[in-house]
Amino acid sequence: MSEVLTEFIRALRAADVRVSISESIDAGRTVELVGFDNRQVLKHSLGQVLAKTEEEKFSFDETFDKFFAFDQFKPPPKREDGPGQAKDGEGEGEESESGQDAPSDGEGGEEGGAPSMPGQSSGGDGGAPQGAQSGGKPGGGPVNEGDVPHAGPNAPGGQNLLEMLEAGDAAALQMALAEAARRTQLNRIRLFTQRGMYVRRILEEMGLETLDQAIEVAERQGTEAGDARGQEIREMRDGLRAQVRDYVEQQLELYTANAGKRLREEVLSQVRLSNVDHRDAKVIRQLVKKMAKKLIALNSRRKKRTLRGQLDVRKTIRKNIEYDGLLFDIVWKSEKVDRPKVMAICDVSGSVAQYTRFLLMFLYSLSEVLPQVRAFAFSGRLGEVTDLFEKEGIEKAIAETMHVHGGGATDYGMALEDFADLALDDVDHHTTVIMLGDGRSNNANPRADILDKIHDRARRVIWLNPEPKSLWNTGDSVMRSFTPHCDRAQTCASLKDLERVVSELLRTAV
Amino acid sequence: MKPEDEIQAVREGFAKGGYICDKQIATSIFLSRKLGKPILVEGPPGVGKTELAKATAEYLGQELIRLQCYEGVDEAKALYEWKYGKQLLYTQVLKEKLGDLMEGTVGLKQSMDRLHEFDDTFFSTEFLEPRPLLKALWSEKGAVLLIDEIDKSDDEFEAFLLELLSDYQISVPELGTIKAKSTPIVFLTSNNSREIGDALKRRCLHLYIPFPDSKLENDIIKARVPDVEEGLRKQLVAFVQGLRTLELKKHPSVSETIDWARTLVLLHAETLDAELVRDTLNVLLKFQDDIENVDGEINALTSQAQKASA
Repeated sequence: MSEVLTEFIRALRAADVRVSISESIDAGRTVELVGFDNRQVLKHSLGQVLAKTEEEKFSFDETFDKFFAFDQFKPPPKREDGPGQAKDGEGEGEESESGQDAPSDGEGGEEGGAPSMPGQSSGGDGGAPQGAQSGGKPGGGPVNEGDVPHAGPNAPGGQNLLEMLEAGDAAALQMALAEAARRTQLNRIRLFTQRGMYVRRILEEMGLETLDQAIEVAERQGTEAGDARGQEIREMRDGLRAQVRDYVEQQLELYTANAGKRLREEVLSQVRLSNVDHRDAKVIRQLVKKMAKKLIALNSRRKKRTLRGQLDVRKTIRKNIEYDGLLFDIVWKSEKVDRPKVMAICDVSGSVAQYTRFLLMFLYSLSEVLPQVRAFAFSGRLGEVTDLFEKEGIEKAIAETMHVHGGGATDYGMALEDFADLALDDVDHHTTVIMLGDGRSNNANPRADILDKIHDRARRVIWLNPEPKSLWNTGDSVMRSFTPHCDRAQTCASLKDLERVVSELLRTAV
Repeated sequence: MKPEDEIQAVREGFAKGGYICDKQIATSIFLSRKLGKPILVEGPPGVGKTELAKATAEYLGQELIRLQCYEGVDEAKALYEWKYGKQLLYTQVLKEKLGDLMEGTVGLKQSMDRLHEFDDTFFSTEFLEPRPLLKALWSEKGAVLLIDEIDKSDDEFEAFLLELLSDYQISVPELGTIKAKSTPIVFLTSNNSREIGDALKRRCLHLYIPFPDSKLENDIIKARVPDVEEGLRKQLVAFVQGLRTLELKKHPSVSETIDWARTLVLLHAETLDAELVRDTLNVLLKFQDDIENVDGEINALTSQAQKASA
């Protein structure tokens, strides 16, 4: 498989597109089949082989455009003032059109041009100054190489570099740059602090030294023309340096696109949820979605349970054909059992509100494997918010919940009474009840007896408390009276904790 | 022949059969044939996922074999089933023959041995009822196999398909492994009602068909409903495109645009006006909520559509 493709797949992986080994082999076969000649065909083909979801397609398109972009060496604006400007007047459009269309066989694709020829897409731009010098040849990688015999990628001599710069030969410069980048192993760049080093190495590889010498020679003459010449080269050198820096930055972004994000996610998943900054809320939301997706994938297999007592006549006959129609191997009807019903009772007062937000976010992101979630919110009185969450988006529903039920002093007794009135009858042995709260009842009667009733009926009662265990039962916390009626009571402070609880919930589900 | 020419040829072939598509779709057909890989087609309902398989069958002149998936579809319905009625009947009819067969055998052991010589006859291909997947594998000159709405089936069935999709073969316990006589072109379609497993995705090319842009939709209507005049066609396409930008329960699909175009032709409409749109909107929108929601926008959308065609 070609090196280009390997690099491209690495860039894709950095952009969160999952590419398996077998898919990269397919990609290799695809490239053999379609070649690098037609950019659009290549893009469509690889897109179908490598990106397998809508989001991945989006990342793929972005990465493809970035990876196969060769537009570094646009002639600096100053130079365009000369011939470039004149072209503008006469019809630069045509020139660049023909420059781009030539290799794509008149296919006229939106993005005609061949990625294997560096400088192709810049051919049109590069064509302007070059056309003025070499007799109006339409820009194109290989053609240019012929024009400048010494400018091959293997001979990056300073003299040539100067020539290339003076000629504004975009294609040759691009190739020299790509070659230098390859030799300095730019694809290993990992940190943005390495940018400077790579820029310097690439410039040296391209022959910066001879440029400096040329400047020195010119300026040592002491004449006005010499100074002007020195100044000119100096400007070209600075232009080159800026372009190389752009290139390095682009490559850095390509290969490490998501590294920083990943690190941040890793940290955020462990931090206490109440300490999450407002600006990180968006990242957390995505994180919750990601975690939920993982849990869905792990748990999407429904388990089967056999109910004895109902004969499956059809299957029994089918199975016993081999015994001459004698029915001695009996098949019973089996029934698929649905996911557990979950009832979440959430404190939405003050400090706990933040946790409630994320718990509900989690539960509702899991609707695929937890189809029956009912949510109740309380601070003083309790109300059901299930409908709200089904109709509105999560964000809006949470805001609405906070608005209606939030505020006011927490009263567990009152809340549990309300819950008993509302939904106790619906609690059965399939139901898992999750309580989320700090267990601080403001010295009111906690009514643990109701929780006991719930516990008797429900399959499980799980209490999640955002406070660390050492703070339980201090002050007005009445966890002591609640814990005997819970199958589990545990702290739940970070996203990781939440994920553990939810995955436990799914794993032991029948 | 260069790849892009072949892709163009596929497009033109499709166009002859009345299926208008973009390069993306033609590329996937080309790749699938060259690489011998199934295509997983995803996209909103009604963009022509199933139609693509039909068009391919027509283009290649091969038989289209279709397997509609639903919850609970299993091997017996997808792959093969023994014709057990026939088996039972034969055993009954042949009961008398049994005496002749057993003639001359002494003791249980010998009778058993004699029987063993025959037992396989009841589990031979004569008694095998091929279902779509097996039919596709047995097809002599290749076939187009359409596994429709794979997302509706269970995970177990999805796993069962893996062998077929990667190696074009299937194991039947009684008969051994059955290999495809010639590699079929396989389409799987999904409406994304659940996430398809990674293992399956890995084995397929992935084609996402979005709603067509107005130019493509114009071409589609032109091919499918040639009676509709150009002015009206542009207007109705612009209107539908406008509808898709609104917040709706279900956006009108291409097939609904086609139905609408036919409706307008039946009504001898020449241009769109708000009144006409209101009367025929139920062809495009299938939810009363949507129809009510759109009602306020009809005037604006219609005038926009009229402008677009001008």
